[in-house]
Amino acid sequence: MYRSLLLFLTILLSSSTLFAQMQRTRAVKDGPVDELFLIGSIAGMSTVTNLEAKNLNTLIQHNFGTVNGGIESFYGLDQGAAVRLGIDYGVTDNLSVGIGRTSVEDNVDMRFKYTILRQLKSGKIPVELAIKGDLGVNTQKEQRFDFSFQERLNYFASVMVARQFSDKITLQVSPMISHFNTVLIETPGVQPENTHYAIGMGGRLKLDERKSLTFEYIPVIGSRTEGTYNHLAFGFEIETGGHVFQMFLMSGQWFTEQHLLAKNTNNFFEGDFRLGFNINRIFSLGKK
Amino acid sequence: MKQLLLFILIGLLVNNLQAQSFYSDNGTAEFTSSVPLHTFTGTSSSLTGMIKTDERTVDFFLDLETLETGNAKRDKDMLLTLETDNYPFAEFFGNITTPFDPDALNEEQAVKVQGNFKIHGVEKEVEVNGSITVTDEGLKVQANWALNLEDYNIEPPSLLIIKVDKQQKIAINILLKPYTEEKN
Repeated sequence: MYRSLLLFLTILLSSSTLFAQMQRTRAVKDGPVDELFLIGSIAGMSTVTNLEAKNLNTLIQHNFGTVNGGIESFYGLDQGAAVRLGIDYGVTDNLSVGIGRTSVEDNVDMRFKYTILRQLKSGKIPVELAIKGDLGVNTQKEQRFDFSFQERLNYFASVMVARQFSDKITLQVSPMISHFNTVLIETPGVQPENTHYAIGMGGRLKLDERKSLTFEYIPVIGSRTEGTYNHLAFGFEIETGGHVFQMFLMSGQWFTEQHLLAKNTNNFFEGDFRLGFNINRIFSLGKK
Repeated sequence: MKQLLLFILIGLLVNNLQAQSFYSDNGTAEFTSSVPLHTFTGTSSSLTGMIKTDERTVDFFLDLETLETGNAKRDKDMLLTLETDNYPFAEFFGNITTPFDPDALNEEQAVKVQGNFKIHGVEKEVEVNGSITVTDEGLKVQANWALNLEDYNIEPPSLLIIKVDKQQKIAINILLKPYTEEKN
């Protein structure tokens, strides 16, 4: 009896000093799901992913001519590139603002993205929700008409809802609207629409921590300008350090969604798609 | 036999009564990393530590996923490099090896601590210089040391082709408050 008690007490006494380390417990128990998408856009369509506060994204977006020109046009690479140069800045963790210029129509656009909800790891908030607005100005010199500033404006707005369904798969749905103050009748008898609606869709399949396959699709809902098609793109993206490189095949020529929605005259399924790539470089301009 | 039992019981009682522990889970840990022409720091405010002055033991750990550099892409790279899914903590357990007076109020005392530091699944014996100041609130602890990434099988990450310096400067700062409950 005494021996057993003695042994027990001796073990207790020694264990209180020998095994004095604290239990290691995780500090991060819940929080927003990381990176539903690698960056704020896929090819041309925006994602719910927003910039962190005081982060600057410098963005170069390119695409070339359609590949169905064959080897004679080196599958579109011989045709002039459409380029959008832009910067976006995270004002807060929820709000980013940006400006860019597209070589097509010399369109200068200003935009914002505001994150309303972040998907939580715990599932308490099952989706990420953000809104986006973009205001563009066609600054191209027009030979035929003398447009006022007001007449040159184009607009875009969308609500983006996305969910990361597993560690590998994220899907997004984006009801969106575009409006052009002025549309020109380029084809006799074809009256272009000023306003278009669509339900944009996007997705990401994560291959590993740095690589993903992506897609974006912008099907127009309701009336549309005759001769236009739904924009579609498939991409591959890779992240290295503060860079995200995106390569894709896309039907639309623009990187502003109002144009992708309203002005895409290429049908992806007829081979009217082009090679493109984006380079994103994110700089941290200070601590939050 | 009864006397021995009594002795052990008293020993156990005294051990618990004298157990003077100081604890916090909101200390600051910071690392400074440099590449040519650029230096950045990662900070966490979730450093957890406990010092038992009677046993002279020092016990610290940090959930590495709480470190932030101000750039989410860089944070992600850092966590991938440290393989935090497999090795979520940086931890140290050791002893104060130089004289330390727990009654010397408001006096910054330089101390040496020797023990095992573990990160990335690799444990090494280290000796760290620091200071402890006994205040009315508890123990203010500061320490700085350099961590050689290769010693812990950590491949220094690169920004494009420029490798991050193998030596990382580590600094901790924590106010440990008197703690009476057993933390285990």
